[in-house]
Amino acid sequence: MELRKIIHIDMDAFFASVEQLDNPDLRGKPVAVGGNAERGVIAAASYEARKFGVKSAMSSKIAAKKCPQLIFVRPRFERYKEISNAIHEIFSRYTDEIEPLSLDEAFLDVTFNKIDLNSATFIAQSIKNDIKNELNLIASAGVSYNKFLAKMASDQDKPDGLYIIRPKEGINFINTLPIERFFGVGKVTALKMHELGITNGKTLRNFSLEFLIDHFGKSGKYFYNIARGIDNRNVESERERKSIAVESTFELDIFDSTKFRMQANLILERLWTRYQKFGQSGKTLNIKLKYNDFTQITRSTTKNNRFISKNSVEETGKLLMEQVLPLSKPIRLIGFQISGFQQEAEEIATQMTLDF
Amino acid sequence: MNFIVSSTTLLRHLQSISGVLSTSNTLPILDNFLFDIVDGELTISASDLETTMRTKLEVEANESGKIAIPAKILLDILKNLPDQPCTFLVDRSNFGIEISYDNGKSKMVGYNGDDFPKAPMIENSDKIRVSGDIISKAISKTLFATGNDDLRPVMSGVFCQFSPAEIIFVATDAHKLVRYKRTDSQATGSSSFILPKKPLNMLKSNLRGDEEVLIEYSDSSAVFTFNDLVLMCRLIDGKYPNYEAVIPKENPNVLTVDRLQFLGSIKRVSIFSNKTTHQIKLKIAGSELSLSAEDLDFNNEANERLTCSYDGVDMEIGFNSRFLMEMLNNIDTPEIKIQMSEPSRAGLLVPATSDNENEDILMLVMPVMLNR
Repeated sequence: MELRKIIHIDMDAFFASVEQLDNPDLRGKPVAVGGNAERGVIAAASYEARKFGVKSAMSSKIAAKKCPQLIFVRPRFERYKEISNAIHEIFSRYTDEIEPLSLDEAFLDVTFNKIDLNSATFIAQSIKNDIKNELNLIASAGVSYNKFLAKMASDQDKPDGLYIIRPKEGINFINTLPIERFFGVGKVTALKMHELGITNGKTLRNFSLEFLIDHFGKSGKYFYNIARGIDNRNVESERERKSIAVESTFELDIFDSTKFRMQANLILERLWTRYQKFGQSGKTLNIKLKYNDFTQITRSTTKNNRFISKNSVEETGKLLMEQVLPLSKPIRLIGFQISGFQQEAEEIATQMTLDF
Repeated sequence: MNFIVSSTTLLRHLQSISGVLSTSNTLPILDNFLFDIVDGELTISASDLETTMRTKLEVEANESGKIAIPAKILLDILKNLPDQPCTFLVDRSNFGIEISYDNGKSKMVGYNGDDFPKAPMIENSDKIRVSGDIISKAISKTLFATGNDDLRPVMSGVFCQFSPAEIIFVATDAHKLVRYKRTDSQATGSSSFILPKKPLNMLKSNLRGDEEVLIEYSDSSAVFTFNDLVLMCRLIDGKYPNYEAVIPKENPNVLTVDRLQFLGSIKRVSIFSNKTTHQIKLKIAGSELSLSAEDLDFNNEANERLTCSYDGVDMEIGFNSRFLMEMLNNIDTPEIKIQMSEPSRAGLLVPATSDNENEDILMLVMPVMLNR
């Protein structure tokens, strides 16, 4: 894979800053968005409040104790969304490869950018400047060659930070990075890591892929890779659903064909319910079976027409069921999935016009 | 001034011209019928400035004179009167009108008849005489295909071409097109102009078929005289698109199908089509025509099959079902032909047989493409 240039932009104390921006009385004062002095949880805290040790996700009761003069304001998500859109508009001047993580965070892939600039650092600075000049808000930026490191970098010298992790610095940075600060490591995982003697990137690298998968399941591979500075995930500019799936694990393994058909049909029914609500239509139906020895098989059928009736899903489902029958081993899980969604734009039929 | 007239006779004459009345007149007097009596002959006019229509009838009158009578009230009272003589008393000092009938009388106030806008006179006009039957049919076959686009005013009317050899009426809205030709018209002159919708509708509803229509025209207006009616209208100014150029010449794939069966299928299947595009798909393979429609927004879909005779390569083509229905409704033969070249090119709809060798009708419809 060629070297990419990824920027992670993180707005500093976003909700609180927007409140201070809209209401001059709040400027320079400790402000907490969400909750009140008695109850609730703080969604965001201004930097003035953070000095007192007030943090987001902290119970507001504790926060009020830490900082008695703390001003609680009600969140206005509509307004944050508005500002967030304005920020995205700024991003879009530089690239269309934008993956929003939340209202105040986004990944940008600027490997190929609209202003034809080689320096991702310069672009990051430029975005920070635009946000400061046009919206009067402060952002921190992290620049690196993958999403994980870019995210870690933006956290490095907040607020108003701009931190770059170059390819050759990646490993060194990870080595010393405390495990609880790793993107994707939550409280529970961090605890588990500590129990295993993993405290930073360097110690994480001591463990084999198999060991990590054994202990952390699917995430094991992710941890194995990021410990080596590898993160090949793309910046997903459109976070679209690619499939809808319903699956069920049974308390008792199923080996009987009749029972299998019955359970499979129930799952198909649930899938149809979810699919209907989804509003897009797919062409591919997929069945997944997990046997009692944990091996699994999948079978799929792609139709010429999209599934738009329950009947068509059921018919296709039946064909897939027959493909896996008779069961070779008892099964513990059945799943169905619809994928192959059409893009909205492709659906528009156009009336042709005479060429006068 | 006063006059006596039969209520039903008067109503019939008023109704034949009342279609000219506009609901959004700028001049209040245009909401009136102009009554003009000269020597016992009553001429009634209705106008919207663009189109003016006149009808004549004999009345018993004591003197000559003019008065504008409110159209809606007059129509409403006459509709509700059984046939009987009505006496109109007109006070020309205050334009009051009193109508006396068996049960009583009613009063209303009109306008000075001299203030009613005059229809433009045509000078040095050319004349054509054509059979009313042919004009009537030519209008009814083409009128539905006219457009409504304010930006292309020429397409809001029907392009009428007259010559001793043939008359051709053409209408199009750029999605569909109809060309109606007659070789038995024996028009007594040659000309072409674009007639707006309103006069076309008035002609269509008033032509009986057995009359001869005298058409007088200039560059900007035309006058149609037939029966006891005169219709004067402004012509649409502009150049009609070169329609012959868009009619495809090579259409090797020919579908022949029963018109009413096909129409019935389209009516049913189109209920399930997308509400914006009204698209239905025709899939033709061998001697089977399948029609399908779907509306993804509502998970609606429908499929039907018809037997047909087909000469050509297998084809899948989408059309606006409304267009197809309008066209099929305007063809009279039991079977129709659709001639096609490609799913992205126009389809031609023509009668499979002809019971009138002097008539040539061609309908063209552009497909609806699915961007896939």
